[in-house]
Amino acid sequence: MLERFIQELRTDDPGPETPAATRERLKPRFAPGSTRRMTLLGMLAGAALGDLQPAGDDTVVYASAFGEGRALEDYLASFPTASPTLFQTSIHPSGVQQGLIGAQRSVRELFPHAGGRQLAVQALLTAMLAPAPGVVLVGGEERGTWLVEADAVSDRTFAYAVRLAREPGPAALGRLTLAQEEATGTLTHPAWFELLHHRRPFDGPAAEGWHLQLAWS
Amino acid sequence: MSDPLSAHLKQLIVETLRLEDVKPEDIQDNVPLIGSGLSLDSIDAVELVLKFEKEFGIKIRSSEESRQALASVSSLAAFIRQHADPARLPT
Amino acid sequence: MYSSNHDSVRLAAWGCVTPLGDAAGTVAALLRGERALQAVPVLGREGGDPVPLALLGGRALDETAPPSWMATIKSRFRPVQEDGWGRPRRPVFVTSSNFGVGCLYAYRRSGDLTFLRYGALPNCVEWLRRELGWGESVTVYSHACVSAHLGLLQASRMIQAGLADEALVFSFDFLSPFVAGGFHALKILNADFPAPYQVRATGSIGLGDGAAFAVLARDRGDFAVLAQSLHNEMHHFTANRADGSGFTTCLAPVATAAAGRRLWLKGHGTGTLEAGRLECEAFARVFPGAPLVGWKGSLGHTLGSCGLVELALAVEAMRAGRTPGTVGSAAPVFADSVALESFANGAYDGVVCASNAFGGSHAAFLLGHA
Repeated sequence: MLERFIQELRTDDPGPETPAATRERLKPRFAPGSTRRMTLLGMLAGAALGDLQPAGDDTVVYASAFGEGRALEDYLASFPTASPTLFQTSIHPSGVQQGLIGAQRSVRELFPHAGGRQLAVQALLTAMLAPAPGVVLVGGEERGTWLVEADAVSDRTFAYAVRLAREPGPAALGRLTLAQEEATGTLTHPAWFELLHHRRPFDGPAAEGWHLQLAWS
Repeated sequence: MSDPLSAHLKQLIVETLRLEDVKPEDIQDNVPLIGSGLSLDSIDAVELVLKFEKEFGIKIRSSEESRQALASVSSLAAFIRQHADPARLPT
Repeated sequence: MYSSNHDSVRLAAWGCVTPLGDAAGTVAALLRGERALQAVPVLGREGGDPVPLALLGGRALDETAPPSWMATIKSRFRPVQEDGWGRPRRPVFVTSSNFGVGCLYAYRRSGDLTFLRYGALPNCVEWLRRELGWGESVTVYSHACVSAHLGLLQASRMIQAGLADEALVFSFDFLSPFVAGGFHALKILNADFPAPYQVRATGSIGLGDGAAFAVLARDRGDFAVLAQSLHNEMHHFTANRADGSGFTTCLAPVATAAAGRRLWLKGHGTGTLEAGRLECEAFARVFPGAPLVGWKGSLGHTLGSCGLVELALAVEAMRAGRTPGTVGSAAPVFADSVALESFANGAYDGVVCASNAFGGSHAAFLLGHA
């Protein structure tokens, strides 16, 4: 069984807030002028991750089923004169790199997960097997536009960042365990976000062969 | 005072790169565009190249040529004058 | 700084496919100095500037629905279709930079909804899973040109932790106008053919189709990945720190693990100038005297699959006893260590393979006999 403790947690669910309003809300979190090329996902993930201050020898695990799908929409629309900025921005894991590059914050290992039905559990597994002294799991999605109907981009926007540790420390927020067992279940990425955002517990199969327990202090 | 082409280039730079806090007239003719007070980088450079290629019908072949053409507004204007159809230049 | 020495694992099976053939065929072609890259209009059917691309035989740049490359995967990669892959104790790690994005481009241009079944990343993975008969235990990594390294590393950790008996890492990237157009817009894919590590006035890359797989096991296989390392500079999306420290930070743990071994080096070497120079210099500092080769001057850059494609080629080169030189390049080069010609590798104890990606991301591993 793998066990980790949640030391810090940030979540952001803009809900009905417009993308422009979310951008204005988050802009003060970044250096002046630095957000002009940032996507909304980049700003959300960057703000959440920025609070948790990953250090040089840390591992960052990034989870996003659709990555920069919104930027992808705009990049596709820019053809035949393809926009280099949108091309660059649409390449996974731009969503987490934007903030880290803005802060000039190197990290030892970065594992960007994408797609897959077992995204949440697989990202947790990556985080739990990382030998680094500090591990931050950051994730999110950005709502798309013309590709939403095609299920090719997310239909909602959210972001989170969790700092995990092997020991509970003086003020652990929660405890996570993953154990192999014969079971089938699917904890979707949005459902995983809801557990974090509302600090709900979980105890059951979360992916084929994996039992997840999440308990809050 | 900038000539019409240089003034137009400055307007395009501000619009293309969405430089919210910069006025076109604030951009000096001979100050380096990349890595200068505007904090433009190589990605901005290629985005500008794309814009100028469309606007003036010129062709910039490589990242090295981009860097030379975009050394400053003055060098950019000179490059465009050298390679563009005069009919496409502002008067 | 922690050591990556425990991320070692054996290679029970491996393979790749490039426009020059399977792993053995590709190595043989590289030894003959053959170049897979050809001038192709950057936007495929819609024309555009000619750029150097290497496409699998018979494949057009424009994607089809379903993508035509699946037939090649199924015919060439029998081990990836074996029963049991994708069960919890035999997990699959899929790595790519572009997945089915060529189909999204085709959908945008044509409006044909059929392309959407393969275009979005989750759909593409689900299609792969069904076509290749995998179970649900599929992990997906996408980190541009170091994607394959991540699959290798996490698969190794799963096996080392006793959470998997064996693991399959599968990596692929097939070109499309989406990808070629993007690199062309960045002005690094242009009319000039790539010449990795060569000193010249203009840098340029080529792009290539590529796919590869590796079956990792605890105690089966003659070859092993003996150490692995990652580092992410987060300095700039398309540039490295000018002092080359990003490269050396990634290579240092591998050098520690390789102490006492006589090595050759397989670099990233896409053909860009500054990164090529920094990479050469870093390799020369960390592994003085070790000959350095790069194969993207022939194959093009196979993007997310390059780490695993080039692992398969490195293994085949060791089996063949001869390492292909840096095809497509000529003197002068950035460092004396760059091997332009092929050389016998029997006296070497292993190879360090490295890849780099946007964002100043670096990955490297030490490959040798088990």
